[in-house]
Amino acid sequence: MARRSEVETGGAVPAPAAQRRSQRLDQALELVFLLALWQVLSLWLGTYWISSPLATLAGLFRGLASGELLLHASYTAGEAAIGFLVGGIPAAALPFALRRMPVMTAILDPFMVGGYGAPKLALAPLFILWFGIGIESKVALVGVTVFFIVYFSTLSGIRALDTRLVQMAQVMDANEHAVARHIVFPGAVPYIFTGLRIAMPYSIGGAVIAELISANRGLGYLVQLRAMNYDTTGIFVALAATTCIVFLGNWLVNALERFLLRWRPPADAMLQADA
Amino acid sequence: MAAGAILEIRGLAKRFRARAPGAESPWIIRDLSFSVREGELLTIVGPSGAGKTTLLNMIAQTDTASGGEVRFRAQVAPLGDAKALRPGLSRQIGYITQDDNLLPWRTCLGNVLFPLEVQGRLDGQTRARAQSLVEAVGLAGFENHYPHELSGGMRKRTSLIRTLVYDPPVILMDEPFGAVDAQTRALLQADLLRLWGEGRKTIVFVTHDIAEAIALGDRTLVLSRAPASVKSEHLISIPRPRDIGGILTRPEFVTLYQAIRAEVA
Ligand SMILES: Nc1ncnc2c1ncn2[C@@H]1O[C@H](COP(=O)(O)OP(=O)(O)OP(=O)(O)O)[C@@H](O)[C@H]1O
Ligand SMILES: [Mg+2]
Repeated sequence: MARRSEVETGGAVPAPAAQRRSQRLDQALELVFLLALWQVLSLWLGTYWISSPLATLAGLFRGLASGELLLHASYTAGEAAIGFLVGGIPAAALPFALRRMPVMTAILDPFMVGGYGAPKLALAPLFILWFGIGIESKVALVGVTVFFIVYFSTLSGIRALDTRLVQMAQVMDANEHAVARHIVFPGAVPYIFTGLRIAMPYSIGGAVIAELISANRGLGYLVQLRAMNYDTTGIFVALAATTCIVFLGNWLVNALERFLLRWRPPADAMLQADA
Repeated sequence: MAAGAILEIRGLAKRFRARAPGAESPWIIRDLSFSVREGELLTIVGPSGAGKTTLLNMIAQTDTASGGEVRFRAQVAPLGDAKALRPGLSRQIGYITQDDNLLPWRTCLGNVLFPLEVQGRLDGQTRARAQSLVEAVGLAGFENHYPHELSGGMRKRTSLIRTLVYDPPVILMDEPFGAVDAQTRALLQADLLRLWGEGRKTIVFVTHDIAEAIALGDRTLVLSRAPASVKSEHLISIPRPRDIGGILTRPEFVTLYQAIRAEVA
């Protein structure tokens, strides 16, 4: 996953074609190797325990063709997306609002740390109790999970503020609002995206888990249903679909980041600098 | 206050906060006094670490003084309390810092327009002025480059015109031509002299380069090693307009150069 996203960000400024091709080749080999491993495992342990890649693929196509899979996937993706926004937007906004209130930030800090550390998935039954088995409980779980991740990454972005840039702007007579808008915010955007990128898979995961516990639709519900029927392949299909959504979400976040952060030196250069 | 002085520094002293509680922090600047006349181009040379940047920070009010007085026109900078500072004194003092401090998320032109934007003065006329400054310092064609896509010297030039574009009456410059080659440097120096000749701004220009200090200045101050104070003052009587290239061989230049050289060493 991590490796993949690096490659994608690197795409902003095309690496030499040969290098890119060899990266693609590496990825393809990796995929083939994993699929082979999976096939071997399923042969060895039997398809009752581990479905085979081919059967999963066939199941995927069947599910897609009947529209069933797409329907459930769209519920899950929708819950995750709404929860992502419901949790992510306030989380990115709050540190800006608190920027001039260090006392308030300090008072909130233990609650935030607690919320960040608490196992949010354990909240799922509570949310279902409060909000029912519909979309609300899933959105709540996803929102809470995303909120704390994005809050802390945004906060660190604000703390990493380059005060020399602020002084430069103040000398030019920029007021508090202009400083926030033109310096603090753009400077924090890379950090916000770090949070969003980490939170993305959690948001899908959160939605699926909440569906597992109680729902009448969604990929988690599908997993639950098929588990009761001892339909191993069916479970694999649902999980594969979940993974596809994660990839899609990842791609979206990366594309948005690449667009908003086009002022940054290309990731290739940064990778080299890190190494 | 000396007649015609726009800026007056009296007995200025600075020490930074001690690094450990109880420890004594050294004086960086002590008993530093000088004044700047309106329309003067004052150059300041001094060894690295003498406190030149610190001095400019206090004049621009981005840092507080520990003692003494910094007076701009009738306004005295507050001592000690960083919150009471008025950076740039309502755009009366422009400051071209030693680091270019460009906004990495803005293009070259976007950075030049930045002060106009935050001052609410961005219109067709100021935009045209920005464009002509971009061309004047040889950045035409690079307007849409982000800072990381510019060379060190280009970034310096961007930061230079970013201050010129809003036309503050006093400009502090901290080694503005440090990162450029000799040729470009001579061009920029000539440009600066021309702009200064047209607008008659007051400029305080810090540099390591003694030749540059003499070639540009009406007067050159030599700072001592830390704790910095004014070691000597030289009036540069070479007539203007000056020819940056030809000046280096004039006998007055050579005499001044040697005198200052001996003091800085
Ligand atoms: N924020 C700070 N905290 C503590 N000490 C500082 C701080 N800023 C500068 N100093 C110290 O003050 C002294 C003078 O620094 P300053 O940057 O003013 O030197 P300078 O004359 O501009 O040097 P250069 O020519 O190399 O730019 C140095 O010894 C430096 O270590
Ligand atoms: Mg300096």
